[in-house]
Amino acid sequence: MNIGIPQALLYYYYYPLWQPFLEQLGAKTIVSKPTDQDIIHQGSRVSVPEICVPIKVFNGHVNELLNKGVDYIFAPRMVQVEKGLTFCPKFLGLPDMLDYTFPAHKNQMLAPQIKGTNEWSVSSQDLQKEPFFAAFDKSRLEAAWQIGVKAWNRFREICRRGYLIPEALDLYQKPDLPKVKNQQGEIKIGLIGYVYDIYDKLVGMEICQRLQEMGADLSTFEMLQDKDIDRQIDPMKKSLFWTFSNKVFGAGLHFYQQPEIDGIIHVTAFGCGPDSLSGKMMELDAEKYGKPFMTVRVDEHSGESHLQTRIEAFTDMLKRRKRLRLIELGVRS
Amino acid sequence: MAKISFPYMGESVVAYKKIGHMLGHEVIEPPKPTQKTVDLGVKHAPEFACFPLKVLLGTYLEEIALGADLLMSSGGHGPCRAGYYGEMHRKILRSLGYEGHLIIFDAPRDHLRDFYQDLKRIKANNSWIYCYHVLKLVYRAIKIMDELEQKVSRLRAYEVKTGSVNRAWEQIQELVNQAFTLPQLEAAQKEGHNLLDSLEMIPVKEERKLRIGIIGEIYVVMENSTNMMMEQKLGELGCEVRRSQYLSDWIDFNLLPHWISHPHEAEIQKMGTKYFDIGIGGHARENMGWIDQFSNWGYDGIVHLLPFGCLPELMSQSIIPQVSKDLNLPIISFALDEQSGLANNLTRLEAFVDLIKAQKFGVKQHILQQKAAG
Repeated sequence: MNIGIPQALLYYYYYPLWQPFLEQLGAKTIVSKPTDQDIIHQGSRVSVPEICVPIKVFNGHVNELLNKGVDYIFAPRMVQVEKGLTFCPKFLGLPDMLDYTFPAHKNQMLAPQIKGTNEWSVSSQDLQKEPFFAAFDKSRLEAAWQIGVKAWNRFREICRRGYLIPEALDLYQKPDLPKVKNQQGEIKIGLIGYVYDIYDKLVGMEICQRLQEMGADLSTFEMLQDKDIDRQIDPMKKSLFWTFSNKVFGAGLHFYQQPEIDGIIHVTAFGCGPDSLSGKMMELDAEKYGKPFMTVRVDEHSGESHLQTRIEAFTDMLKRRKRLRLIELGVRS
Repeated sequence: MAKISFPYMGESVVAYKKIGHMLGHEVIEPPKPTQKTVDLGVKHAPEFACFPLKVLLGTYLEEIALGADLLMSSGGHGPCRAGYYGEMHRKILRSLGYEGHLIIFDAPRDHLRDFYQDLKRIKANNSWIYCYHVLKLVYRAIKIMDELEQKVSRLRAYEVKTGSVNRAWEQIQELVNQAFTLPQLEAAQKEGHNLLDSLEMIPVKEERKLRIGIIGEIYVVMENSTNMMMEQKLGELGCEVRRSQYLSDWIDFNLLPHWISHPHEAEIQKMGTKYFDIGIGGHARENMGWIDQFSNWGYDGIVHLLPFGCLPELMSQSIIPQVSKDLNLPIISFALDEQSGLANNLTRLEAFVDLIKAQKFGVKQHILQQKAAG
């Protein structure tokens, strides 16, 4: 039996958890090809025009997998993985959207509700509400999930050692954990944004490689310890409502306070609701911390040369700033 | 006493105003949103924030310019962005040099002490019993307003003298505004009904009537200056209109215990679970329930209003095409923001109503009727 996992949305964060979980249950997982123009076209055709690009990409991947003839599509309803927080409404309604976007394939959608206070406390009762999972008994489901969590924890640990997600996805199945990544770039940039914007080949336009080629080290939210993010979010009287928005926003605030971070780039999708608020708050705070902050807004129409020009100008500016500061301090002449 | 003010959202103005007056505050009457309000909001709000955030920000700034020093509004706790408006507005107002103007009422369990402090600022020196009476009276006023407004939206389609119903509605609002006791309110209610009944109407047979339901995000549904006067426009096109959102329904569902209010909204929500298994924020699930409800009531079409980029409503918009097909019920969506072009949207609306008429009455007859009308 084949279960398709769309290479979109939270694939970039939870694939190491989902894949062993499904394989433990005797399924063969198939990941869709990386996003390309063809996938975006497929997605745009079936999506509401003004919805954000990650959702269009997701629909494209689902369509692609269905055309390939997989038996099921794994598209969990992400509701809660942190106490008091939830996901963006688009995640909450994702399976319902799929049902009405692909009405002929309604029975092929595996959409268990993921709701708990953390990633490992998912209830097998929720899973069993999906007929496919109801065929397994609770202890089997729970055991399979915990095996997934174990692999995922390894993956997260690699991220925390400074590796970007595509690198971590290559490394997490290797027997030994890699050493903390050695970075020696001229400047260090805090790159904040959702995993499905930054690491999607087409949407994010490989911004990480581009920045690294310009001599910048990168730090992202998934490289931080949870407590670094919580320290920023907890004092807020009212935090944002969305788990990943809080992670990204908290990381942004953390980067503002880190002296070794020279500047911050915020990658966000056109029409992203949570980012419209957190982005503005980052912008208002940029003045307070005196740190350069740039927003890169992406969608299915954005051009690579535009991105290249903007990040080149930004990194050049950061390098000049840093050089001047080092001269002022007398470290350099 | 503070000079208080509040957001402008349809008839809620009457309610807020009454509360303010009766508790002895000076009320700065909120200006109805205009292009100027929108421009002011757009200038300072995040570019991709949803439309209501921008309009509200513009309204707050206008009110501050008019001398208000205490702005009150309600909060929320997601997952829709609207729950975060308060924090965002406060932060933006602070960056513009206005500190401490905004009071947001969140659910008391979130920050009990703050809630109580804010409440005391509004309550001022009045006794709790008096406050209770004020709230009871205001609730009654809202009920009466809603009842009359629903009648207004039905009658508008058949008025002989253009604009007579709108004028009567303005008179009614003023009547309710002036009523400060229960007998006065009931008199206003009676007079309102008389006023509407005395208007000259075109007699239309039951089977020739057109009924359109309006669903969507609460602010753009309730505040007609942000939705191109949708109810009036549909009335002019000869359609009876009913909205999914009325203030009293919202209060019944959100503020009162359900065993007292028996809200219709609870039933609607149940109907919506057919489409969304769980609540996804805003009124997305209720709106899907309303589609079913309007379909059951035999309505002829539905207008779906959403602010551009609205998170929950985009999800309902994603599933609406298929639902419309399944129920054989025409549904049209309008995304609204500061960029919406009036002429473009009105053309779409007219075409929508024309198609419904043609489908309902047969194309030939519809054309003949149009010719007869000149």
